[in-house]
Amino acid sequence: MKRSHLIAIAVIAIAIGVLISASQDMTTYANFAQAAEKGDRVKMVGQLVKDRPVEYDPVKDPNYLSFYLRDDAGEVRQVILRAGKPQDFERSEQIVLTGQMRGDVFEASDMLLKCPSKYKDEEVYVRSEKQ
Amino acid sequence: MQYIGEHLLPGQIGHLLTVLSFVAALLAAVSYFLAVRRRASSEEAGWLLLGRGAFVVHGLATLGVIGSLFLILVNKYYEYQYAWANVSDDLPFQYTFSAFWKEQQGSFLLWSFWHIVLGLILLLRAGRWEAPVLAVLSLVEVFIGSMILGLYIGEYRLGASAFDLLRHTMDAPIFERADYLSQITGNGLNPLLQNYWMTIHPPTLFLGFASTLVPFAYAVAGLWMDEHRGWLKPALPWALFSAAILGLGILMGGAWAYVALSFGGYWAWDPVENTSLVPWITLVAGIHAHLIARNTGYSIRSAYAFYLMTFVLVLYSTYLTRSGILGDSSAHAFTEMGLGAQLIAFIGVFAVLSIVLMAMRSKSIPAPQQEESIASREFWMFIGVLVLLFSAVLITGATSLPVWNKLVQLFKPDYVGAALKDPVAHHNRYQLWIGVFVGLLTGVAQWLRYQERNAALWRRTFGKHMLIALAGATALTALNALWLDVFAWQHFALLFAAMFAVVANADYLISFARKNLKQAGSALSHVGFGVLLLGILSTGLNKRWISSNSFAMEGLIEGMGSDELNKNVLLLKDAPMPIRDYEATYLKDTIERQTRTFAVRFRKRDAQGNFTGEEFVLHPNVMYDRQFSQVVASNPSTKHYLTYDIFTHVSSLPKAELDPEFARQQEDSIRFEAYEAAIGDTIFTKKHYLVLDDYTKAPQHPDYRPEKGDLAFGLKMRAFALGDTVGHAAAPMLYLRPKQGAFTLPAQIGPLQMRVRLTEASLARLLDADESLQYRSLRLKEGETADFEGYRIQLVRLNRNVEHPHYAPESGDIAVAAELRITAPNGTTAEAAPVFLIRDNRSLNLKDEVAKWGLHFRFENIDPSTATMTILAAKASDQVRRIPLEIAENAPRSDYIVLEAIVFPGINLVWLGSLLMLFGLGLSAWNRWTQRRRLEA
Repeated sequence: MKRSHLIAIAVIAIAIGVLISASQDMTTYANFAQAAEKGDRVKMVGQLVKDRPVEYDPVKDPNYLSFYLRDDAGEVRQVILRAGKPQDFERSEQIVLTGQMRGDVFEASDMLLKCPSKYKDEEVYVRSEKQ
Repeated sequence: MQYIGEHLLPGQIGHLLTVLSFVAALLAAVSYFLAVRRRASSEEAGWLLLGRGAFVVHGLATLGVIGSLFLILVNKYYEYQYAWANVSDDLPFQYTFSAFWKEQQGSFLLWSFWHIVLGLILLLRAGRWEAPVLAVLSLVEVFIGSMILGLYIGEYRLGASAFDLLRHTMDAPIFERADYLSQITGNGLNPLLQNYWMTIHPPTLFLGFASTLVPFAYAVAGLWMDEHRGWLKPALPWALFSAAILGLGILMGGAWAYVALSFGGYWAWDPVENTSLVPWITLVAGIHAHLIARNTGYSIRSAYAFYLMTFVLVLYSTYLTRSGILGDSSAHAFTEMGLGAQLIAFIGVFAVLSIVLMAMRSKSIPAPQQEESIASREFWMFIGVLVLLFSAVLITGATSLPVWNKLVQLFKPDYVGAALKDPVAHHNRYQLWIGVFVGLLTGVAQWLRYQERNAALWRRTFGKHMLIALAGATALTALNALWLDVFAWQHFALLFAAMFAVVANADYLISFARKNLKQAGSALSHVGFGVLLLGILSTGLNKRWISSNSFAMEGLIEGMGSDELNKNVLLLKDAPMPIRDYEATYLKDTIERQTRTFAVRFRKRDAQGNFTGEEFVLHPNVMYDRQFSQVVASNPSTKHYLTYDIFTHVSSLPKAELDPEFARQQEDSIRFEAYEAAIGDTIFTKKHYLVLDDYTKAPQHPDYRPEKGDLAFGLKMRAFALGDTVGHAAAPMLYLRPKQGAFTLPAQIGPLQMRVRLTEASLARLLDADESLQYRSLRLKEGETADFEGYRIQLVRLNRNVEHPHYAPESGDIAVAAELRITAPNGTTAEAAPVFLIRDNRSLNLKDEVAKWGLHFRFENIDPSTATMTILAAKASDQVRRIPLEIAENAPRSDYIVLEAIVFPGINLVWLGSLLMLFGLGLSAWNRWTQRRRLEA
């Protein structure tokens, strides 16, 4: 057998091995019910529930943020993130979390905010300087 | 309706030129295509000439489009959506460039601009490769041109024009007014983009993207003309140049993220970063295959494949960032513009073209019959190329999960989709091994020779230098382990590979390459790669949050023990806070335009907690939007040392500082209680006592900007906690501004959660005081003394240099101050200087007072004949002397910041390593280019 064939086989073998091992790093998108069922780390997409309290008091602890999230099934649960509160948190229209359920609370390890595109939702700003 | 004040001409010209540019590109592509098809026939010259002409017209038209758009932005023509959305009257001129390429259209134009520049160089220099290369380049320009056409074909809109009018893109009642333009102003540029990185990073990155087209076009030309060796030589400097510039563009992105954004790092494995890194990796793989092909004739097929792949990956990256598909997995992408289908067509055409060409020519691409020797450089270089391919495939695969999810959802709508649990950990885990293999291979392959036929003879030299490299790498690994917290064997492997690359290549550089500049490029690049790996290791493993104070935070939160979670620390104003290795103090904040800058002092402490004497002040800032209603950006501030950086940014602020609505509610919820006090009095509240020391007409307050005509009053007080002797200064004030009204500025005493303010009642008392006074006149000559209510009042002298808080000199004034010295019954003295003033033949006087005793003085008259002055004196009753004020004792603190501070050791190794790598590539490109020129000459 030619060496190039050996290399090709080795490459394919390694590729399959890597793919199998890399698939361990994958997770699926889930809602609260599915996350509770799985018990494992999942990705979750939802919206901030604006009429429930957002708890962040840096005087007490600058690394503790708690809020309520509505998942795509409509269920509302408390979410805890041990990090500072991002500046534009309240403006977010969608939140993507990674984390897992602990009891009734979803403990997130990271959070990505989708804020309304600055130029789509904004209205024409009326100049007030001209009097 | 006839709108007033619109400038429609630049838009019409711009639009016309966009169409012209598109048509000219199409004509250039067709002409060049036919020039290739009719080559060696009599028609060739004609088609070539037409192609050139069309390409030049395309270039000029595109420059015209850029000029029109720039004109619109510079002149702030808000009738255009592009200007309205991206600039504003107060935007400094230098950010016009940032605004220009912030949106899709502008960045397409930038990309196109570089293609034209490169195309013109090729037009002049590419010789017999001109026609096929420019045919490909022009075809790409056709696709890019179509993205900004904005033409409707039936219902379908082809491209998004940069010249759309605001009133066409938006439905708002304001456009029913003919003078709507005088009512609107631009949105301005996102403050995050208002920095010089946004001016230099996109042009560099787009030059990098654009330059990948040149090796691609050469590769297509080689396949098309069936000349598989001829293109290798002219394409090589272009490929090297492209790798250097694209690398520089990516590096600038990392540097921007690090120094100006609050990412807390230079690389985040963000999809946008990944999709620009992957083409760079495949380009570098292509260069190595190319070098093998040039030197040995092997790997021509691979060189083709990698260059074709690189450009298609650039297009794929364009698709990912511009189609909106990354949506929830990337923090930064362009605004979606409905170009998805066009972008897919763009990728599709060039991907299919590449595959078809490769398939058609698969038989005719030459390759040596004999296999390469296992002791040859080309063999190990090719293994390295495969490792790079692995890297590219892994990154692309993981980054493409959102695309894959969308694809599956087309067929299975209920598919929930997969995502990476932790992208950063995932990429680091796999790319680490790429680093290990590439590091080792660069060292080994550098010391092997192309087409080795005499392995036995070379074995000794090779063995000797490998021993040097092994020994050097072992020693350096051990040395580095002294300062690096290496704890996993994988990290040792990477560290060793990095050091191996550094030593072996440095050795090569010293032994050979210094004589031969051509080789210096590659050895330098490889040394740089090793240094970069070391930098990645040191910043990655030893990145340390110093903004934590586990003692002060302990027990506040259940289950919170791990230091890693304590990344933020709360700093109260003026209260030194011990954090790891330092003491941090939030000193002050200042506001300029929309930026609020904080000064935070760091004082280094040694292991015993003593100060080492080293201290510095950092200035992180936050930017508010134009209405000051929210914080839109938090910008870091970094202290640079040679061996490490200290990176800080404000991660949070009191809610009252972020949200004016909340601040109002909070203000309303504070319970103020009314008190009255005269100067010298002490006020006892429930938990505190305050001493009213003085009263001033020239008060100072952080929020007060004096203006001419203001009438201002302020108190000087000290506040104490009951049983405490440490006083906190408090200076509430109020001022009357003509035509605007009265404003009160409270004093916040943060540590006591106290707030003191003056009210309208205070103002009334201060203003009305005079009316209730019973003045008595004293007639005094200079030096004389009179008695008044037990006080001795002496007229010390008259002074014509008048200084009085309410006196602003005018020409023609005659002003004299009477300097009085007042001695109280107990022997203490005070001074006052009322002023007598004649202005416009009217006599006026400006009073002065000794607030602590309630004494008021006016200088009413001068009798020149007797040199006697008339001074009016009055003593206010206790009732009048008492100033009403309000005190709250439940005021929430808002004088703090939440700070994140990170130490990045070895960050300079990252920059040094990357720059060496890119410098090496650039050097090689330069050498190959000039060498070619010399050969041609």
